Amino acid sequence: MASLLSQLKDDIRFSEGLSACMNCGICTAVCPAAAYFDYDPRRICQLVQTGDEQDLENLLKGEEIWMCGQCLSCKARCPRGNVPGYLIQALRKLSQQSGHFIHSREGRKQIRLKRRIGHSILETGYCVHPQMVEPETHPEQGPVWVWALEQGADLYRRCGSNYYGEGEGGLRKMAPGVLDELEAIFEETGGLRFWEAIERGAEELKLNTEP
Amino acid sequence: MNASEYLPNDEVAIIGGGPAGMQTALALSERGFSVRIYEQKEQLGGHLKGWHHLFPHGVAASDLLGQLKEQVLARAVPLHLGQSVDRLQKVGAGWALWQGERPLGRAGVVVLANGFALFDARRKEEYGYGLYPSVLTAADLEAVFRKEQPWPFGSDRMAPQVGFVHCVGSRDLKCGSPHCSKLCCVTAVKQAMAVKSLFPEAQVYCFYMDLRMHGLEYEELYRKAQVDYGVRFIRGRLSEAAPGQGKRLHVKAEDTLQGRPLHLQLDMLVLMSGMVPAFLLEQQERAVFLKEPVFGSGFVPVQGLLAAGSVVQQEGLFASGACKGPATLPEVFADASAVAREVEQYLKSLKAVGHA
Amino acid sequence: MTPLLWKDYQKEVPDNHYFFVRSCIRQTFFPGAEAALLDILRNSLGLDVFEDRRHTTCTGIAYHCDLVPLETIMTVIARQLSLMTEAGYRHLLVSCVTSFGIYLEMLDMWQHHPEMLEQTREALWKSTRRSFELPVALVHTSDLVYHLRKPIADRSPHRLVDKSTQRALRVVDHVGCHYAKIFPAGGFGGAEFPSVLSGLAETFGGEMVDYPERRHCCGFGFRHYLLQENRGYSLSNSRIKFESMEAFAPDLILTNCPGCNMFLDRWQYTLAEMSGKTYDREGKGIPVLSHEELAALMLGRDPWTLGLQMHQVQLEPLLDKIGIAYQARQKYSMLAGAASLPGEPSVLKVSFQ
Repeated sequence: MASLLSQLKDDIRFSEGLSACMNCGICTAVCPAAAYFDYDPRRICQLVQTGDEQDLENLLKGEEIWMCGQCLSCKARCPRGNVPGYLIQALRKLSQQSGHFIHSREGRKQIRLKRRIGHSILETGYCVHPQMVEPETHPEQGPVWVWALEQGADLYRRCGSNYYGEGEGGLRKMAPGVLDELEAIFEETGGLRFWEAIERGAEELKLNTEP
Repeated sequence: MNASEYLPNDEVAIIGGGPAGMQTALALSERGFSVRIYEQKEQLGGHLKGWHHLFPHGVAASDLLGQLKEQVLARAVPLHLGQSVDRLQKVGAGWALWQGERPLGRAGVVVLANGFALFDARRKEEYGYGLYPSVLTAADLEAVFRKEQPWPFGSDRMAPQVGFVHCVGSRDLKCGSPHCSKLCCVTAVKQAMAVKSLFPEAQVYCFYMDLRMHGLEYEELYRKAQVDYGVRFIRGRLSEAAPGQGKRLHVKAEDTLQGRPLHLQLDMLVLMSGMVPAFLLEQQERAVFLKEPVFGSGFVPVQGLLAAGSVVQQEGLFASGACKGPATLPEVFADASAVAREVEQYLKSLKAVGHA
Repeated sequence: MTPLLWKDYQKEVPDNHYFFVRSCIRQTFFPGAEAALLDILRNSLGLDVFEDRRHTTCTGIAYHCDLVPLETIMTVIARQLSLMTEAGYRHLLVSCVTSFGIYLEMLDMWQHHPEMLEQTREALWKSTRRSFELPVALVHTSDLVYHLRKPIADRSPHRLVDKSTQRALRVVDHVGCHYAKIFPAGGFGGAEFPSVLSGLAETFGGEMVDYPERRHCCGFGFRHYLLQENRGYSLSNSRIKFESMEAFAPDLILTNCPGCNMFLDRWQYTLAEMSGKTYDREGKGIPVLSHEELAALMLGRDPWTLGLQMHQVQLEPLLDKIGIAYQARQKYSMLAGAASLPGEPSVLKVSFQ
């Protein structure tokens, strides 16, 4: 089994993301996650480039790598052309593929995300659509959203949307052939295999938590 | 016209009338060669004209400039002021100098001594130079010290919050300037102490990545800045300056030694603009062009350690001083003598082969 | 050739013949915006904008939740491009900013790693028997609206000016992070001073307001919004922006990303409920509009057909300032006749009549 470090280095997002950080801190200075969490993208770049296998494993098992909000503000500023956000993508991918993600609270949440957003892609052809945004779990959407969902097709069609209807336009129901093609793509390119790795993690947790 | 028709010529044309050009002219003149200086501005001095006091001892730039000019005039070096050479055409073993379509003269040897440009700080857009009046460059601050420019904050601010940003347009791939400009760190420390002398209640911050205090007595200045002047050093490169309330700036950096982001409200931000190439040297077979630099342009390339004054690919073309890369004044003066020696060797070798 | 000064950088945008791809979030929260844009482009400006009903999500949201491998999203993108190619188009018009960023990244990768392009062609062929050409132009809908700002303004009876006082309205722009922070050459004006929204607002006579946190992310954070308990991150980053812009008293927040449009609207509501504070002086919030919504209003489209009643922060104060007429009673009425009114927030004032 190749070391975590060599697996990480094989990821193109790693090679695009980190080639010699000089620890200037410009990324952390503007990072929204660094402003909110106890999180420091510069520290992660430094840790990774030090090249210690155990440090890397701890990182993959830890909470830190799940703090980044993927805004890529770091990319706009790094004077060496590094992208901490890409490094985070590579780390998160490796954490899930290797199963280490189950050791962190944040990592375990990937299971929920996969079952919601991931499944939505193959079931509807959208990442997000109105009926997924349930008011009970989205109080921040406000009373206007409760109302909008209640009105449903009436409101949406008034605005020119097709709202889950057959045919064309916004929020149309995708033809079955379309969803088949998406699934075939996920199968061919390892998307489904990746999801299996996430589910395997979920399985393992169940085994560990059962009395 | 063939080489034998070309008149014996040990004349040296020096392009640039700054410290490098003047000192190289003196070194060559003292060795018995006849030299001329072509300077694009109407006055000698180059960037030295804009400085106030020089590190590390605080010598007045105007005094040093005065001495150099005196010596140049004393040796009666012909000066071609307001002439900007943009093309060198090889003629026989020597050169013809041109400004556009206007011929400026001939020489056996040309020495490029036209120095550096300061990085155009407007290009580092995240710092807002040219947009926010409270953002200055180090050169602007020298002008403020010389009382040629006002302070950007009101006279009621007796305790201004001031930040110095090291590495602006240096060590920056994003701006096409990967190199270190060598003397910005000591300049920042010098200027920080000067600001504290003028405003003892000021809070002065230096935002640095590394403190490159390489020269004689530079490190001692750093300690003095901390101990005697209370300058605060923050190891973190400034990420952005945005307009805050009134004329103040809202800046963001990371205090990397503490490992946390830092926001400050400043009354003045000073950008240590790096030394970048002033021109792009484009070489063709029998001609050399001095063009506008573009993104990623490099300094004048030279032939290695033992021929550090000789431009690559060309016979009879030399380069002295900061046009080859960032250099301090002591280095520029030392280089002038070294280049003069190389020019002398070259002209001797020409004589031996029969070109003279 | 890398420009020396990015501020003045003008991206090249073709005048016509676009293949359009939609945004999951915009379709969900602002259904009227895309419809209005297509209407403006096709009917008001006579352009050829084609949409293939077989196009899907680009999976960008899932990608940024680290749920989708690079090869997968790359092939989904390739499928969208194959639809574009099949229909005979080479100009891609993208509604979502996350999506736009994804297309930029994939094109960049294919350029620097041609073997990945070959692998993608193979993967797409094997899974769907499709093939594709690369687009010649990749354009966000805000790029196109900016590019067409003068023809739009020429056709518009309205200006971003307070009709009663003739004061230019103060506009804050919030450009989506993935529009220009990823590749400065992908957006007008580069990464620090993108002009795609400010140029639009200024053409309509608005006064742009710079403020310290202009470039700060709205805080979507992908997983940080989609997981309920993580939402504090998202709320807090928008709050940083509101706190920063408050002193400059903007009349309007202008966005180009559908997520940003939604967050800057909803987090104002949420903050009002949580803390009692709104960021305008009347307790109504600062109105938020996207570039298509603004263009549509300027061209006289009915605000309720446009879907502005689906914003939680009411637009009426802005409409009144500009002098745009609207039927207040029509706001919540439906095709099928009058229906219920939305509930009323306890702090944020909304307009019902």
